[in-house]
Amino acid sequence: MSDDPTSEPGVAAIGAYTPRLRVDAEAFEEAWGRFDVAGVEEKAVPEADEDALTMGVAAAGRALDAAGRDGDEIAHLAFATTTPPMAEEELTPRLASVLGAPADAATRTLTGSTRAGAQALAGALDAGPWGNSDAGDADGIGLVVAADCRRGAPDSGIEHAAGAGAAALVLAADAPGTVVDRAAHVASYPGTRFRGAGDDETTGLGVTQYDREAFTAALGGAADGLDADPSGVDAAAVQSPDGKLPYRAAGALGVDTETIAAGETVSHLGDTGAASTFLGAASAFDDGSGQVLIAAYGSGAGANLFVIDGSVPVNAAFSGATDVSYAEYLRRRGEITSGEPEGGGAYVSVPSWQRTTPQRHRLVAGRCPNCGALNFPPGGACRACGGRPDSYEQVELPGEGTVEAVTTIAQGGAPPEFVEQQSRSGPFLSAIVALDGPEGGNVSVPSQVVGDADGVEIGTRVEATTRRIYTQEGVIRYGFKMQPVDRRR
Amino acid sequence: MRDAYIIGAGQTSFGAMPGESYRSLFTEAVDHALESVPAGIDADAVDEAVVGSLGVGGRQIGLSGPAVTEHAGLHGVPSARIENACAASGYAVRQAIQAVRSGMADVALAGGVEVMTDMSGDAAKYWLGVSGETEWERLTGTTFAGVYAQMASAYFDRYEATPEHLSRIAVKNHANGAKNPNAHLGFECSLEDATSAPAVADPLNLYHCCPTSDGAAAVLVAGEEVVGEYTDEPIRVAGVGAASERVGLFQRDTYTGIDSSAVAAAEAYDSAGIDPEDLDFAEVHDCFAIAELLAYEDLGFCERGAAHELVESGATELDGALPVNASGGLKSKGHPIGATGAGQIAEAYKQLRGEAGDRQIPDAEVGLTHNVGGSGGAAVVHVLEREVAR
Repeated sequence: MSDDPTSEPGVAAIGAYTPRLRVDAEAFEEAWGRFDVAGVEEKAVPEADEDALTMGVAAAGRALDAAGRDGDEIAHLAFATTTPPMAEEELTPRLASVLGAPADAATRTLTGSTRAGAQALAGALDAGPWGNSDAGDADGIGLVVAADCRRGAPDSGIEHAAGAGAAALVLAADAPGTVVDRAAHVASYPGTRFRGAGDDETTGLGVTQYDREAFTAALGGAADGLDADPSGVDAAAVQSPDGKLPYRAAGALGVDTETIAAGETVSHLGDTGAASTFLGAASAFDDGSGQVLIAAYGSGAGANLFVIDGSVPVNAAFSGATDVSYAEYLRRRGEITSGEPEGGGAYVSVPSWQRTTPQRHRLVAGRCPNCGALNFPPGGACRACGGRPDSYEQVELPGEGTVEAVTTIAQGGAPPEFVEQQSRSGPFLSAIVALDGPEGGNVSVPSQVVGDADGVEIGTRVEATTRRIYTQEGVIRYGFKMQPVDRRR
Repeated sequence: MRDAYIIGAGQTSFGAMPGESYRSLFTEAVDHALESVPAGIDADAVDEAVVGSLGVGGRQIGLSGPAVTEHAGLHGVPSARIENACAASGYAVRQAIQAVRSGMADVALAGGVEVMTDMSGDAAKYWLGVSGETEWERLTGTTFAGVYAQMASAYFDRYEATPEHLSRIAVKNHANGAKNPNAHLGFECSLEDATSAPAVADPLNLYHCCPTSDGAAAVLVAGEEVVGEYTDEPIRVAGVGAASERVGLFQRDTYTGIDSSAVAAAEAYDSAGIDPEDLDFAEVHDCFAIAELLAYEDLGFCERGAAHELVESGATELDGALPVNASGGLKSKGHPIGATGAGQIAEAYKQLRGEAGDRQIPDAEVGLTHNVGGSGGAAVVHVLEREVAR
């Protein structure tokens, strides 16, 4: 398919994010008497305020960092997930807003298949390269973000395997990574993994031989479409709904099992769905691989293969820090919590929320033209000089700051709209943070402190991250929270 | 500008009163206020009514002023609700004083009412949070206690006070409240109780937080031309001060004091022509124990950073040089949000008339009340003075 690779953008960098918490196989064995997934030792567990979009933001930020590029260079933005936080309503514009992508960037949202990430990559490669350096324009970049928080019935192997994570690829001309070969293939195999409209749990019929046949037929068919035999790759990042199935595709792909092992993350992250193969590629390039095969598979069935050659920079948060018990895992999943109680929540209408998105998404403060003080949110009388400027100069804050005041809202003490977050993720820190200005000075903002927040006190340095704030009138509100700088992963 | 006088004040008991409605509570408070007027008064004498209420629970959030004054039999009297969170009825009293001083009213009624215990704990937490800054502060999942806890964290970081000082304030206020038959939590507690209670919002524990209460209070204010018709020992409104502050704590210049309190107090002292040293007692806004600690400094009872020394000295205990919250304060007497400010005036009225029973401060002549809305977005301070018989 890739007749002239030089006409396509290459892979400038990969970013990867995985939630900090881990639950291990023993915790499941203790609860259930057995663990139904081969090849998974532990898996990543998102917090209550994390979802595919927030993880995608984290991975995208790391990818841009690793590539040395900025959000305002994005010309093509694709977001892929099997677990979109909303079944209908595109989340990609919010991703674009957080990343600061230009309004005329092409956006794509792909879902419904674990190969959605790979499909997004194929589409981006077809669309790029972006910009016209001959005309003096800045080169644009493509950003392909895949993120997933998989879910199945609690007593199913699908749930036992269900992990979470996100990865993002920056695509650009003259990039260190070149897509030297790629292919796709579909073969109609219904019933291996599916989720009905309105359901939030993936299921499957569990017809073992049939499932394997679908997997190998789709991947093998795609492999037949490659220009060259991929057996020479250093690692193969193969779709991993569990820790065993990817190895069944060794023969069909023409790679050995050690090569597949070099590109797997399922043993420590679980099934990461649409992000699975990108996370594997990130892990492999991070480990020094020079050529990586991405082998994505989606039920239905279809497969996409890419061979990426080169030394691709990686910025990844793979390490898991904290083991949770099975009961804590169920809490995090919302399996044993009852949702937001009656009683009401802080009412912020959607239009008034929308007007504050530059602040919520990108920490846009205002500089007073009279006295130079930073105001957050900008508007009304200046907090420093009391004057009423006609307008504030828009200033994007770098996103680091120092805790000035902090409390831990004890379990049971949260207001109704934060009860579900607290029920799932436990007591939380509510703080005031003096955020650094871009050229000195600072401005105070209120924020939760999340992540590994033990020991956070006045004076602790923190940095911004994007999380779910709350949901009201059915609309998820995303915004910034803080996490300790010295716990950066 | 003519002088204004408190000629009567009263309150219901504060507490959980499932048998009462916001209207019946307000009516009872008006009756107590009318009955407290030494020479008696007819309800027809009331020219103006101002009703403080946050509106917890929603209920009659529109026209709640007329809804309660009509119920109390003040038919036709101009009546309006004033909303300033926990300072609602402190501001209602201030409005009544303005009406009287301006000459628009000879007798004005200021009251407040709140019903807070007839709803789920979750609903109460929702309503307690509505006076924080909504779009940013509250969306960090914080609560009323949480914002004061943030102030406590900053105060403890900057000065030498510790959570034990907060517990000592709780012990003091409970000891006082145990002597007040109208108190919601009228029991004594030990320092052990007050230090070992479960955390609410670190560093605040349960004993550092006031309860949510039902209750009402009412105050009658009269002009100097008519005061003689109602009493021979008038209680003069010697000083009034009020100020606003940015609603969100994060928007302020300091987290270790409440500027609106300091400005209101300075204005009240100045207009009364007194200094803090002239006070015989004070009722201060201790929704959380840290709020009382901050009030000591904001009201000029001690230097910045020295409030814990005032606690340690015992000066603010009932037998101290400057008893604070002889009523039990919000901590023990209770905090029915809209009724609290008027309730403080009712306590001061009792103290100045020598009718405070077991908690009476001997020879009280000058008292201060300090009422704060939310975490300090509004504050109002009154100085009341007993005049010699004329």
